[in-house]
Amino acid sequence: MNRFTADVYQNEYLPADGTEVNAIVTIASAGGAGPTQQAEAAEIVIVDTSGSMSAPRAKINAARDATGAAIDCIRDGVAFAVIAGAETARVVYPKGGSLVPASETTRAEASVAAARLRTDGGTAIGSWLTLARELFATAPGRVCHAILLTDGENQHETPEHLDAVLASCEGRFQCDCRGVGTDWQVSELRRIASALLGTVDIIADPADMASDFRSMIEAAMGKATRSISLRVWTPQGAHVAFVRQVAPTIEELTDRATEVNALTSDYPTGTWGEESRDYHLCINVQPRNLGDEMLCGRASLVEGDEVHGQALIKATWTDDQQLSTRINREVAHYTGQAELADCIQDGLEARKTGDQATATFKLGRAVQLSSESGNDGTLKLLQAVVDVDDAATGTVRLRSQVADADEMALDTRSTKTVRAGPNA
Amino acid sequence: MTETTALRCVACRAPLLDGDRFCEQCGARLTEEQPEAGACQVCGAAAAIDSDGYCSVCGARERGGIDRIELDLAIAAAVSDRGRVHRRNEDAFQVEVIGDRSVAAVVCDGISSASAGDVAARSAAGAAAMVLAAALADPTRDASTATLEAITAAHDAVEQVPWTTRADRGMPSCTLVAALCRNTEIVVGSVGDSRAYWIDSEGTRLLTVDDSWAQEQVAEGLLTSEQAFRDPRSHAITHWIGADAPDRPPRVAALRPDGPGRLLLCTDGLWNYVPTAAELGELIDALPTGASPAAVARALADIALHRGGRDNITVAVVDIDPS
Repeated sequence: MNRFTADVYQNEYLPADGTEVNAIVTIASAGGAGPTQQAEAAEIVIVDTSGSMSAPRAKINAARDATGAAIDCIRDGVAFAVIAGAETARVVYPKGGSLVPASETTRAEASVAAARLRTDGGTAIGSWLTLARELFATAPGRVCHAILLTDGENQHETPEHLDAVLASCEGRFQCDCRGVGTDWQVSELRRIASALLGTVDIIADPADMASDFRSMIEAAMGKATRSISLRVWTPQGAHVAFVRQVAPTIEELTDRATEVNALTSDYPTGTWGEESRDYHLCINVQPRNLGDEMLCGRASLVEGDEVHGQALIKATWTDDQQLSTRINREVAHYTGQAELADCIQDGLEARKTGDQATATFKLGRAVQLSSESGNDGTLKLLQAVVDVDDAATGTVRLRSQVADADEMALDTRSTKTVRAGPNA
Repeated sequence: MTETTALRCVACRAPLLDGDRFCEQCGARLTEEQPEAGACQVCGAAAAIDSDGYCSVCGARERGGIDRIELDLAIAAAVSDRGRVHRRNEDAFQVEVIGDRSVAAVVCDGISSASAGDVAARSAAGAAAMVLAAALADPTRDASTATLEAITAAHDAVEQVPWTTRADRGMPSCTLVAALCRNTEIVVGSVGDSRAYWIDSEGTRLLTVDDSWAQEQVAEGLLTSEQAFRDPRSHAITHWIGADAPDRPPRVAALRPDGPGRLLLCTDGLWNYVPTAAELGELIDALPTGASPAAVARALADIALHRGGRDNITVAVVDIDPS
């Protein structure tokens, strides 16, 4: 039973001498392996307990409640732990340096421990992740997932140290990251979430934390697969220009390839529940003769030794301009969504450095792109940062007063995409 | 070469020697004449062509390569031509002569909106012909039963064809028309819109009924034949060989000729250009007297090519002489 299906959207016609092949590959997982077939899971909740978490006290109170809510959602038998993170990390629950299987008793004990979380000291996220990695290592063979909550910058470690820690954690566990308040760095958490194949978001209001934690755990419990790779074969002489997840969020995968053989590479995609994701593959090929047809890429999902679903990306060279100039709508749509994310991130960066002209241009273009593509969520977030005069032309004015939380929400959610709408 | 070899003729089960191309006992053809298996014609990599028809090294599409295949077995012959428009030939045929006058003939048309239509057609034709050939070697076998078994074998073979999921592509599938010809008995089975005709001194008549939208409209009296064939849906078929085929039996027709005649099997690549039995008869009558089955098949394929060749064209012709 094939639980994955792969569909390809592309214009396979290239003009004479055309070399660039673009395709959107949609991969859908039927999930539904059923609890008995589900890979055994492990879960760690990592809570920032640095001194700043008690300013205001609402933050640590919400974190305690949210941790309790998350623990309540952990399925029986899932190995779990709670880590408190400051300048160093320590295991709050259980005692004894390994994970404990969830049961009514252990969940109750963990909730009591979470309610007693105390704040003190600084922030060294690398040490938290290192402890999580060590704990997960005590439960080999499980599908490992963590939630990381922080409210501040990674001040007590160098970026190089964090990079080294991320490299050591990659592929060991997935981690969803949340920033509470507005004193944390979007780019830093995005880097962690990207490396560990998780999501990143802002929790502007501590009151929303419990429901967010609950939904993260529920999503993690719904994953029915082990870690899966996107396998891409390209013919001799071809070059993968980029491989990018484009829905539900944009994630660059190009630099994360593991070579399988000279023509084949694997890109990490983490675990899958019942869901569907889109990938944009751009492949450069050697041009062939008019009329020639070529297989430019073969994309499949690989879980262990099993290969699921297969998508064929093709090219046919033609002198019929009607065919070769046709732009595939899915490719165009996601090219726009990727540009949208770049425009937002560049625009906000320019705004921070006081480059008003670039910020206005980039955020204006972002308004235009989000409005064209029906990405209403992003358009709404943009409207908190700019006043829109004309969305169609991207004419905007920067707002002088922008709440930090609004700016950070726009930044963290800039990579959220919408699917190509139905044919007009 | 020793007699202990396990090789046996698929048709009559007689023992074979290594390297035999025909069975000494019943004359069945044993080997497929195929080009070197799977070598890429573009980059030269050996055994590189994958099940989707692409080179696993350089990505080149396997050349439809052969534009035309002709087979001449004297009393039976077949021609399959790529046509003028399609880049590949997705039709296939298999014709076997067993003994003096028994013939198994199968013609299939791979469905181009499905994956691997060409592979499906080849697999179906090969599997069905093998069952028919085995039945012909045994005079006690019931011809209609053997024909139904041949079509079941074709279904089984097509279900085994590897394929890939694509939004705009269905499972591998094809049409099939198969004939089992003994001296005094002809049984024709069909699925889809490939056809069989009987041609004798009394004229030419269609033996099969298309499983097609147009045919169903006409059969239900909703449209005239002319109206139906003008509709863009006319060629949509309503039955086929493949894993997702409707669950209904194939159509089977039997014929007991009392004089000599010719059986003709073809894909829609021919009959699209020669829609009526009468016109087909006229075209054959116009050929030189005593034209061989091979000459008839070749001439008809050329006429379809000349009239446009928009589809692959396959024609098989069998001489029947019950005397």
